[in-house]
Amino acid sequence: MLKIIFGEVENAVYHPPTYFDNRYEDQWITDPLSVAMIKDIDKSDVVSTHLIQSPVLGPISTKEISGGVKTLILMAFDKSGRIFNASSCGDNCAKWIIEIGKKKDLTINLHHVMDFHSVPIFDAVMLNSDVTIHSYGEYLEEALKIKER
Amino acid sequence: MKGKYRIVVQNNKLRYELDIRRNITIIRGDSATGKTKLIQLLEQAASLGEGSGVEVFCERPCRTLGGNDWDLILPNIHGQIIFLDEENRFVKSQEFADAAKNSDNYFVIITREDLPNLPYSADEIYGIHTSGKYHDLKRTYNELYHIYSSNEVSGNEKPEIVVVEDSNSGYEFFQAVCGECGITCISAGGKSNLKAIAEKQSKDSVLLIADGAAIGSEMNELYQLMYYKPTVKCYLPESFEWLILKSGIIDGRSIQDILHHPEDFIESQKYFSWERFFTALLVQYTQGLFLKYSKKRLNEAYLHGKIKSAILSVMEGVNLV
Repeated sequence: MLKIIFGEVENAVYHPPTYFDNRYEDQWITDPLSVAMIKDIDKSDVVSTHLIQSPVLGPISTKEISGGVKTLILMAFDKSGRIFNASSCGDNCAKWIIEIGKKKDLTINLHHVMDFHSVPIFDAVMLNSDVTIHSYGEYLEEALKIKER
Repeated sequence: MKGKYRIVVQNNKLRYELDIRRNITIIRGDSATGKTKLIQLLEQAASLGEGSGVEVFCERPCRTLGGNDWDLILPNIHGQIIFLDEENRFVKSQEFADAAKNSDNYFVIITREDLPNLPYSADEIYGIHTSGKYHDLKRTYNELYHIYSSNEVSGNEKPEIVVVEDSNSGYEFFQAVCGECGITCISAGGKSNLKAIAEKQSKDSVLLIADGAAIGSEMNELYQLMYYKPTVKCYLPESFEWLILKSGIIDGRSIQDILHHPEDFIESQKYFSWERFFTALLVQYTQGLFLKYSKKRLNEAYLHGKIKSAILSVMEGVNLV
């Protein structure tokens, strides 16, 4: 289940891309989920654990993938119990956050109202108000009522 | 600092072209568009110069700012264009807003956060997109695009309710105009109340009128609200005072010249956002005239037939009468 908390929270990582660079595990990169996310967001191919083929930059290291994808990979695989700031993710990451939230209990932190309109129907718990939402419209209405950012 | 600056940043694979014309510019948008890469290139150029292999072309020095000692460094930088990446959470602090207000630099901030402490324009919120290969076919060419297009935010249907951000002269003007046309007019009493008031309205069409020059921090949420509730539209002129100046009822050539390229006249250290400049300009040019302007209370002369019509005619895409 996806849980969303707005504003400052304990145990949150404000800039997940930096955390990723220092903490990622090699096996995360070649997992089919990471391969699909890197292909979709970065338009890049995972060649091996340490090599990504980018259409713009050519062969790049894993540390050069986008901040959004780094944050998604942490959300999917990190087991430290930390909460990652999804405001590091563009709106093109929204569908993947929801996908990851379907597979595991995932709590994300937001400092802005992320635009989930590309996924009209999804379930999430808004932790600031303890309200469960079932669609983008319900999410937006609830998010606009919450003062924390 | 004032003026418009073209910035070109390139290495042998990437080229960025940006035009910056206000003290605060925001870059946000989808992941993997090259925002962080732009910062990395600027950092390398600033620390290693030509030896970095990065070329930066701009009339003004361009540099990055970050880390815990930003407040020690910033007071010593003058007349530069400063780029801040999203990892710097200090950009949302009041301390940074105060420092930016007193600074004679321009700031380009990469963030998806709303930054309500900073009065930035809806027009200066950009994304980066790739527009293809540069003519040497090796470089990918990246440029800025407006995230919020004016066509999408305004509407030309006659609204049933008008919500005005302002509570002073601007509100009094629209209240009088709407009263004559059978439209309900509400003052939001500030930009942060616009969403809540718009969301409550059950009428078919609601038009929000706000100062575009400083509404930037509300745009992400307003834009989503308009997508979800298509009956809500926005009209975002620079400010009410800008509408009056633009209408041509005061002076003539000199004001229109200023409005044509205001960035060349607005000293950022004196006017943190452009609507303050337009207010000062209007007050200055109407001093001693029958159209003497006061922000606190509307001079009724602005409601006289031809004058009122001239102001309304500036509002392209808005139909109040």
